[in-house]
Amino acid sequence: MDFLRPTTLDEALAAKAERPGAVPIAGGTDVMVELNFDHRRPEALLDLTGVGELAEWSRSSGSDGEIRLGAGVPYTRVITELGGRLPGLAMASRTVGSPQIRNRGTVGGNLGSASPAGDTHPVLLVTGARVEVASVRGTRLIPATEFYTGVKRNALAPDELVTAVHLPEATGPQQFAKVGTRNAMVIAVCSFALALDPDRAAARAAIGSAAPTPRRAVAAERFLAEELPWGTPGPLRDSLKRRFGELVAEATEPIDDVRGTAAYRRHALAVLARRTLTWAWNDQQERSPSCA
Amino acid sequence: MAGSLLGTEVRRVEDPELLRGRGTYVDNLTLDGVLHLAFVRSPFAHAELTAIDVRAAEAAPGVVAVYTAADLDLPPVKQFMEVNPSCARLPLATDRVRFVGEPVAVVAAESAVAAADALELVDIDYEPLPVVVDPEAALAPDAPRQFPHLGSNIAAGERDAEGAAVLDDAEVVVRARLENQRVAVVPLEGNAIAVVPGGPDEDFDVTIHVSTQAPHALRTVAAKAFGWERDRVRVIAPHVGGAFGGKFGLSAEHAVTVGVALRHGRPAKWVETRSENLQSMPHGRAQVQYAELGLRRDGTITGLRCRVLGDCGAYAGFGGGFALGPTRVMAQGVYRIPRLSYAGIAALTNTTPTGAFRGAGRPEAAAMLERLIDLAAAELDMDPVDIRRRNFLRPGEFPYTTLTGAHYDSGDYDLPLTEALRLAGYEDLRAEQARRIAEESPVLLGIGVSTYVEITGGGGGGEYASVTIDQDGTATIAVGTSGHGQGHATSFSMIVADELGIPLESVRFVQSDTGRVPRGGGTGGSRSLQLGGSAVRRASEELLRRARELAADRLEASADDIELTAEGRLGVSGVPHASLSWAELARAVAEDGGRLGADTDFRPEGATFPFGAHVSVVEVDTETGFVRPLRHIAVDDCGRVLNPMIVRGQQHGGAAQGISQALWEHMSFDEDGNPVTATLADYLVPSATEMPTLETANTETETPRNPLGAKGIGESATIGSTPAVQNAVLDALRHLGVRHLDLPLTPQRVWRAVRDAAEGNPQAPWREPPGAFDELPVRGEGPSPAAEEAAV
Ligand SMILES: Cc1cc2nc3c(=O)[nH]c(=O)nc-3n(C[C@H](O)[C@H](O)[C@H](O)COP(=O)(O)OP(=O)(O)OC[C@H]3O[C@@H](n4cnc5c(N)ncnc54)[C@H](O)[C@@H]3O)c2cc1C
Repeated sequence: MDFLRPTTLDEALAAKAERPGAVPIAGGTDVMVELNFDHRRPEALLDLTGVGELAEWSRSSGSDGEIRLGAGVPYTRVITELGGRLPGLAMASRTVGSPQIRNRGTVGGNLGSASPAGDTHPVLLVTGARVEVASVRGTRLIPATEFYTGVKRNALAPDELVTAVHLPEATGPQQFAKVGTRNAMVIAVCSFALALDPDRAAARAAIGSAAPTPRRAVAAERFLAEELPWGTPGPLRDSLKRRFGELVAEATEPIDDVRGTAAYRRHALAVLARRTLTWAWNDQQERSPSCA
Repeated sequence: MAGSLLGTEVRRVEDPELLRGRGTYVDNLTLDGVLHLAFVRSPFAHAELTAIDVRAAEAAPGVVAVYTAADLDLPPVKQFMEVNPSCARLPLATDRVRFVGEPVAVVAAESAVAAADALELVDIDYEPLPVVVDPEAALAPDAPRQFPHLGSNIAAGERDAEGAAVLDDAEVVVRARLENQRVAVVPLEGNAIAVVPGGPDEDFDVTIHVSTQAPHALRTVAAKAFGWERDRVRVIAPHVGGAFGGKFGLSAEHAVTVGVALRHGRPAKWVETRSENLQSMPHGRAQVQYAELGLRRDGTITGLRCRVLGDCGAYAGFGGGFALGPTRVMAQGVYRIPRLSYAGIAALTNTTPTGAFRGAGRPEAAAMLERLIDLAAAELDMDPVDIRRRNFLRPGEFPYTTLTGAHYDSGDYDLPLTEALRLAGYEDLRAEQARRIAEESPVLLGIGVSTYVEITGGGGGGEYASVTIDQDGTATIAVGTSGHGQGHATSFSMIVADELGIPLESVRFVQSDTGRVPRGGGTGGSRSLQLGGSAVRRASEELLRRARELAADRLEASADDIELTAEGRLGVSGVPHASLSWAELARAVAEDGGRLGADTDFRPEGATFPFGAHVSVVEVDTETGFVRPLRHIAVDDCGRVLNPMIVRGQQHGGAAQGISQALWEHMSFDEDGNPVTATLADYLVPSATEMPTLETANTETETPRNPLGAKGIGESATIGSTPAVQNAVLDALRHLGVRHLDLPLTPQRVWRAVRDAAEGNPQAPWREPPGAFDELPVRGEGPSPAAEEAAV
């Protein structure tokens, strides 16, 4: 097995073009597990940790700020440096693995694996993120909604690498929640993300681990947009929250596996949906004192 | 003399080298010319071996040899306890494999990497056979048989004649089928062994460095298996990274390593991977219990009936035998029970053989009884504390012989319970619980109580110790226990320092080397302080007696007048200037050609029975089923406490493992017998983030059975904690009509029980046990051979 160590993005893209079978390795927290268990035996590893361009984040100069998050920025930095601007992503990042895993693991790696259980995916879906991918042929931006194509499959061409993720800065409350047998170091039984955009009276909701790919719960989103009492202060009606939970559950297509049954996943997502909606709404109320 | 060290928080003398990374583990040994071994393991749970082709592997780079059973011709594996002699296992499978992970061939190579790479080149043809994974399914008349000649999958079984009649006096009977799930031992260091062949011209025929709890026992087995004189075998356990019952005896892989080393006349080493460890180190617990408790309406117990199925895994693993041994012995627990009937089966399944894990059969007994008591409390609408107090054996009743033949030494069961309730603030917790119910909060509070008694230091053996004074005045302890993290060097040195007035820094500690300690029982079954410590105490006393005689000669006084001075010298009472230091005395004795030392073989007056009470406080999210342990209060009574810090450490570790069994750990297999939790991503060991604050305390009820008054503490908190947490979760759901939930209490299980109860169909905790229990032979009179066997 060859170990390729590019030091610039151009070198990395050239290497990937020349050897499409080379497996990129960023934090290695997924790749090394697969190698150790002999689930795959690539002809070459393409080490991206030496590529400086992938290890940085920046903010676009435009008025409605957008963050360009390099594919190789580890979770720990997302949490400490971007917690204010990308609250949903930071929340999800805090729940990944353990401190050691968060020091190494990256959003780029999460996208590369495209596991239905990856924790950043629901957040990328609800924030309207776009995945920046590049090859020697050029660069393109893929909306997160089009990035996940199947169980552990994504829209990357064989010669492409994920270079960054573009996320709008939060304009409203964002929430992420997951259920597992315990809190740390366990693959989620199911996960859920929610983002409210009060200025446009819109909402986005997405689920993880409950369908072949992470996906948005579109009917539930539409329901919120129409039914949330955007301008009115006060707590939400229980019936509204319950209906939202039901619609989220209907968006799932879960399976039975060792971590949980389909019935439990569907139920738990409805609960997570209700709770995150309550938290997000309360958060929203606190942000706009005029409404209180 | 200044105040005694005993009972004080002396810091552990063994920690500095561990903290500095200077531990010496088997894998750290550098051995010239060592062969590295790796095992080809069966991917089938049950199959015939039809052909093995090792040629490609033999030809691989760095490979020295590849062996199958036929090549090495090794004797059968001798387990720690034998459940059924006709279920023998050979270290490498011959014609059949019986669990996934069973070694079939071994590769010996110049490097560990070369050995690992060659594994997949060994070509083995398997003819799959039908598989039994579930121990209850194994009892079905048409179940696939693991040893066809046995006639069934029952490796052992017996019942009391009385049966259902023990419940005749009851006004109310509560019954439940309880699963005490299979768990993995997961020591941080897995198995590791390095075998160095010697010869007639060398000090030993063989030296075995091995990560074990009991080097002398391993020596006995190895000598017998390979035909050596015992004294020609040296077994050394260097630092051992945890064992918890999983490192007793000469395992299959150990025996193969010895065989390969002998064959080549070269050192050979095997250090297992984590995946191997989860597949091949014996698993623990793994019982299904059908238990019924009869009571009068006022809560007084009238009788107990238990039918317990132990899962042996493959080859009649000895863990299955605990259903007939320690679980039966401790079935009566802390209660006055007038009538008791017990039946036990040890069943074969196509899974990893089971063995000992922290508590070894006693946690299962406590969990069974404590669950029944809580079921009874719910049924009779009593407080779980009141029903316990009503039935406790009273302090005046000790010594007490139970219906199962256990000879309890001393006990005061309400003492730790009262303390635990005080620390917990029981009444306030109940008020908070009621408040949440009244507010219809989705997150409820559960308060779980367990009161237990267990057996330690049993098995009938004693322990060896010697204490010697060198000419520089240092004392050296040599003892037959084999500590591996418990703090023996500290505790035993405290005993010597206390007895001889020698400073702690001047006490050396020798253990775990059969070349330096003549005999010993190792460490397991919470035996070490009460047996090894008592032996050290006796040897110190004997040494002091001799020292007084020797000093009397030299100081021209009577031995009766020799006393230890405040400075730790041997002086003549009333004559301030006539004294000798220990060094002076040792030199004087050496000049006369003698040695200043004493040794002893201590025998206790019987096993001891530690007890205690745990209170667990949990939050149960009724909507997601998620359980969060909030507090855990452990009051464990291990008799006299020598070093409170070390006792606390054992309580913390024990409770962590017990809480983890209640909430997270479960070693499980799919229907084909493939382990589905064979990595630490799936097998959930506890970590600091999810542990609740542990609040520990002790009451001290001394035992009369050894000079220290000490009982075991190594396993107590594991035993007390699991049922406390389980009861806490069920306590939170009691008003909803949920009566029982099996371990581990995963969110999904808890949620389903809540849902079913809300829909008016609470899961019934009982179903009739398999018919096989009725057909068992009736147990013979007298104590069973397994009685008072507190294994590991
Ligand atoms: C103990 C443990 C706990 C974990 N817990 C969680 C958890 O709680 N939640 C969770 O979501 N995940 C978890 N994971 C999985 C893993 O940590 C995450 O998926 C992480 O985001 C992977 O990032 P990485 O940089 O380590 O990726 P790597 O392992 O380096 O790569 C992952 C995949 O992405 C590809 N890849 C990496 N970078 C690029 C790139 N720039 N372009 C194209 N392809 C690329 C790789 O080829 C590979 O296929 C856990 C893993 C472990 C070992």
